[in-house]
This record gives sequence, structure tokens and C-alpha cells, in this order.
Amino acid sequence: MRRRTLLGSALAAPLLANACGSDDDALTFFFQARPEEARVRLRIIDEFRKRHPDIPVRTIMSGPDPLQQMLTYCAGGKCPDVLMAWELLYAGLAERGVLLDLDTLLDRDPHYAAELRRDSFPALYDTFTYGGGQYALPEQWSGVFLYYNRAMFADAGLTPPTRWGDAWSFEEFLDAARALTRRDGDGRTTRWGFADAWVPYFSAACFGMNNGAEWFTPSVNPTRTNVGDPRFAEGFQFYADLAVRHRVAPRVADQQSVSAPDLFRRGRAAMALGGHWLYSEFAGNEGVPIDLTVLPVGPHGGPGSITDVGCTGLSIAADSPRIEQAWEFVKFATGPVGQAIVAASGLFVPVLQSAMATPGFAAAHREIRNLEVMTDGPANSRPLPVTPMWGKVSALLERGGNRVLRGAATAQSLGGRLAADVDALLGAP
Amino acid sequence: MSTSVDDTVVSDANDVPPPRSRGTARPGRLARRRERAGWLFIAPNLLAVLVFLLFPLGFSLYLSFHSWDLFSPPRFVGTANYRRLFASDPLFLIALRNTAVFTVLTLLPTVVIGLVVAAVLNRKVFGIGLFRTMAFLPLVASTVAMAVVWRFIFTTDDGLLNIVLGWFGVDPVPWLTDPDWALVSLSIVTVWKSVPFATVILLAAMQGVPETLYEAAKIDGAGAVRRFRSVTLPLIRGPLSFVFVITVINSVQAFDQAYALTGGNGGPETGTYLLGIMLFQHAFGFYEVGYASALAWVIFAILLVLTVLQLRLSRREETEL
Repeated sequence: MRRRTLLGSALAAPLLANACGSDDDALTFFFQARPEEARVRLRIIDEFRKRHPDIPVRTIMSGPDPLQQMLTYCAGGKCPDVLMAWELLYAGLAERGVLLDLDTLLDRDPHYAAELRRDSFPALYDTFTYGGGQYALPEQWSGVFLYYNRAMFADAGLTPPTRWGDAWSFEEFLDAARALTRRDGDGRTTRWGFADAWVPYFSAACFGMNNGAEWFTPSVNPTRTNVGDPRFAEGFQFYADLAVRHRVAPRVADQQSVSAPDLFRRGRAAMALGGHWLYSEFAGNEGVPIDLTVLPVGPHGGPGSITDVGCTGLSIAADSPRIEQAWEFVKFATGPVGQAIVAASGLFVPVLQSAMATPGFAAAHREIRNLEVMTDGPANSRPLPVTPMWGKVSALLERGGNRVLRGAATAQSLGGRLAADVDALLGAP
Repeated sequence: MSTSVDDTVVSDANDVPPPRSRGTARPGRLARRRERAGWLFIAPNLLAVLVFLLFPLGFSLYLSFHSWDLFSPPRFVGTANYRRLFASDPLFLIALRNTAVFTVLTLLPTVVIGLVVAAVLNRKVFGIGLFRTMAFLPLVASTVAMAVVWRFIFTTDDGLLNIVLGWFGVDPVPWLTDPDWALVSLSIVTVWKSVPFATVILLAAMQGVPETLYEAAKIDGAGAVRRFRSVTLPLIRGPLSFVFVITVINSVQAFDQAYALTGGNGGPETGTYLLGIMLFQHAFGFYEVGYASALAWVIFAILLVLTVLQLRLSRREETEL
């Protein structure tokens, strides 16, 4: 009996050691994803494992506040090896030395670096260039566009634009939203013309940018904001009025009980603003045939429509003990092979021109007729501000923006105290 | 019989070993052993207090005189964090004002409702156990979970609260979308969460009031309200004062319910921007741990002053009695 126990222990020991060892040696990958996205992302990790069986990958899913989570991990000395990076958030981590300058790795392989650069969209690649370093490689384009319900548009006899270059005007967009909004006898809205499934003050800023004024100047390490520019304010106000004045979009109060993606998915909204991350939720829903169109352009904007750079990338922790393995993973996910796989998976819009052109990408989005809205998206993206002060700037913008979006002030008010406070934070000369 | 436990303790404490021929060495050793055992028993707690209370306290005081972003080494800045807080941060005044209003909106209803509920639960009626259980349920609910449920109740169009108000012809109230109403909503949730604790304390105190006093008051012709005012209230003044202090402390420190109900930025606008939210935002959103520590010590100072004032007042009232 005793011998058997000893034998059992002896057999179990290497297994346990192996299990512990593999856990300890695994490359940790931190990311945030919706459930549908996470499932596809795991498939990509499986593909990587097939090619690199010697590099085990352990995933760490982010909670609702990824920046705070990364900060806690890294300040506590347990920084994941590979971290998802957001264009608006990475600068603070880069400046504090949390993220590795990937140029140190790219410089070792100038041929690969040159090939990658040539195949990339400059707007996306450069959004992760901060203070002379490359702190992430872009992994997905997540700029925003408009999903629309093809059946509802056809019923109303409307044809929205199909390309960024053929933008519709604010007026045409408002007319369409009006025509698509339905109310019952009591005046309650049964169907909205437009619903915003993104962050409202970001979306409003996109409408401001589409009226001919950039949000911040310059985009990397900005020194001032243009929220006070009359053109930006006019675009911002147009967005706010959709809900507050024209009632073709849900107001803040209307969105408390039901989310915009749900409204669109249930056929209670004809258009929804969002990025590719919503595709897996919207596609394939019985009775809700979807297609894509572009944002409208204001009287001072154009000629074509633009969107935000909206980009996530992959970074490596500066103090990672597995930098080589991490680099293999980042190269796989952001390089030609990985991007072609993700393009075919329908997970996101790839960031390499070669991957965008693969038949796999089109096959993964068969439901979409206006695929150019996605494929030409990166080229029509304009940068969002990259600043280590983004946390504070964002808190200020949210406060000021909410006031306008709930109709308690006009967008012209943004140019007063708010703009001065933001400029002071940015250290405007 | 009922004193046997106390007797044992007393006899143990006085249990002096009989003198032995070889002097006083033995009793000394026993006493030392007992002392050692005592220290051993409290060691885990003492260690926990040192590690989780005293060290963070001291470290946060140290950090409050430094600029620290969690990654670079802390840089000594003297009293700059405190000066910035009082002289150049407009949001500190907003947080202070919001916290003061929130404390008043929470404190009075909590104490009044707590008193009434305790008085009701103190009565000997059929099924009182069930009512007591129901009254104490919020005490065991997770703050975040109940804040999420309250979010649905506060929904402007389809929320339970506005539906009920609609039956009485009241227009929908923008509970969470209007900055002023948001603070009221936050107070309602906090009162709902705080009342059971106040009730537990006050009910225990009420049950300690001798029945004979009520009987005497009854004979003197005092009604229920008069008995409550002239007998119950004076005799539960101590616990009442404790409830006051604890509610003030909880209100000034409020964070979790505000975070879950209206988000980490204290919105809408600055409607629910409390000191707790400000502290969290600076420490974990803006990487300003030194500044957040200075704010924590200012909150500590405010609470200390309020508590000392409250204790002085309650002591003075006691002597007047």
C-alpha cells in the first residue's frame, strides 16, 4: 500500500512539475474582447500554437477598465508579456517605461521592418509612434462607420452612399433619419432613425471632424484642442440635435434601459454607429439584413467623409522575461500571416493592405455589399489625440460633452472654459 | 449557576500557584509563559494591523509629500500636493461641496428612518421575526449588485420609480441623467443601504431600556410618542451618537455605490463627483498617487474634526441631563 502511494507520488511529481512549469513559462496575453470576438481570438491563438508549439500562450481577459487593470498588473510587477494597446491610452504607459520600444526588435530585422512598413497603412502604423519610439504594432482598424438595415432603407426608398468619397451631407442624413423614425399614436418612438453604439462624445467629435476641423492639434502630443472652433462646434451640435431637437435618435435617458446595439439588432433602429467590433453581433440576425455606409459631411467639411483612426495594437511589456516569445506572437498576429488569418476569421478589419485584399476577408463579410467602407476605412481615417494626459483630458471632455449632449448647453459653450482647461492641461504655449 | 463562567475567569485570574521551597522562580516562569501565550494569540491580528493598517497609513502619509506615478521613484515635493488641493484644484471644492450635500442628504434620513424602523421592530407583534429579516436584508446585499439593480429602478422612461410616480400624475424624474437629481438618487441608494445598520444598533439599544420606565410613564399618562421622546430617546443617546458618527464617516468615504451607479468620473457632469471618486480617479486614472494620498489625509482630517465635534456635543448633552 505504502509502495503504491510512493509510486503514485513519484509518477505524479513530474506531471505536476510539468503543469506548474508550463503555467509559469506560458506567454501571457492581455486583451479585451466582446464574447463573440474572444471566441475568434482564441482561434487565432490556436493557429499560433500550431506554428509555435514551443510557446504556450495563457490569455488574460480584461474587465471593463483595461487601462486600470494593466496599471495594477504592471505596477505590481506582474505585467502580462503581450498587452493589447489602444491608440488613446498607450502613451501614458509608453512614457512611464511600461511598454517596450518595438524598434529595438525591428532594428534587428531591417528587411522585415521595411516590408511591414510598406504593407501598413501609415495612419495606423504612426498612431503608435510616440516620442520617437514604436510602442505597439497595429492589429486591427476599429474606426467607426454606419451599419444600416438594408430592408428599412429599401422600404423608405433610400440609398445611402457606398464609399467614403461619395459622402452624404448633414441635411441628407437628417432627412433619411427622419424618414426612418417611426412613432406610435401616443408619440412614443417605436423605431429610431439613428442610434449610437459608440461613446457619444467621441461620435460627436467625429461629426465635428467631418465639418472641417480636427479635434486636437497636432494629433501626437497635442498642444491645443479645437473644440472651440466654430466648424467643430457646428458638427458637434448637429450630432447632439439628432437626439435633443429632432428626436430621430435616442436621448441619454432613452438609452438607460436599452443599449444601441440591441436597438439595431432587434430592428428598432435603422442605423447604428460603431466599428467592426459590432459586426459579429449584427451579422446573421434573421430579419435584419445589414450593410455599411459612411458618416455624413457638414457644410465646411468634405469633399469625402472621414472617420477616426480607431486602432488597437499589440505591445510587449518592457520588463517581460519572455521578450523573444512575445515578439514571435506579436509578429504573427500583426504580420502578413496572422493578419491574413484574422481577415478570413471576420474578427476585425486587418491593418495590412495585403491582408485587406485577400479573398478570405471578403468571404468572411459576405453579408456586406458595401465592403469598401471597411477596406477603404484606414485610408480615410484621421488621427485621434495621442497624449499621456488623455485620462484627464477625457474626463474634462466627457463632462463638457455630456452637458451639450443632454441639451443643457450648446456646443459653442465648449469653446469657453472647457477648451481653456484642456489647453492648460496640454501645456498650450 | 449563571455566574459560574465569570467565577471561573475570576478564579483563573487569581490562581496564584502555591509557594514552593525553591523560591519565586516558578511563578515567574508561569507568568512569562502566560504572557508569551497571550502574545502568540494576538500575534496574527497584531501582524495584520501592522501590515494592512499601520504600514499603509504611514506609507500614504509619506507619499502625500511626494509625486509618484507608480512606476518612477517617488519624488519629494514637500507640501505641494496639499497646496494644489486647496489653492488650484477647482474640482476639490466641487467634490467637497458634493460630499457635504450628500452627507446631509444621507445622514438625516438614515437616522430618522433607522429610529422609526427600530421603534416599529421593537414591538412585540405577530411575525416580527419576518419583518426584522426583511428590514435587515439590505445590510447583507453587495453594494455594487444593489447599485446595479437601483440603476434599473432609476431609469427615466421605463424605471419602476417613475412608473409608480406616473400613477400619481408625477412627470418622469431624470434620476440619473440630471446632475442635481443624480446626487439625490445616490443618497436614496445609500440611505436604503445604511438604514439596516442604524436599525440594528438602535434596536439593540432600545431593547436595553428597562420596561419599568415605560410602565411608570404609562401610569403617569404618557402616550406612545411622549414615551418615545422622554424615555427611549434620552436612554439611547449613546448609540444614537455612534450611529451619527458612523453614518458621517461612511458618507464622506462613499465610493463603491457612486462608482457602480453613475460611473468612475462622478457624472453626469460633476453631479456625483465625491471625494471618494476624486481619490480613485487621481490614484488609478491619472497615475497621481501622491496627490491622491494627500487627498486621503485631508478626508481623514475632515472626519477626525467631525467625529471629535460630534463626541464633544454628545458628551455635553449627557452632562446637561
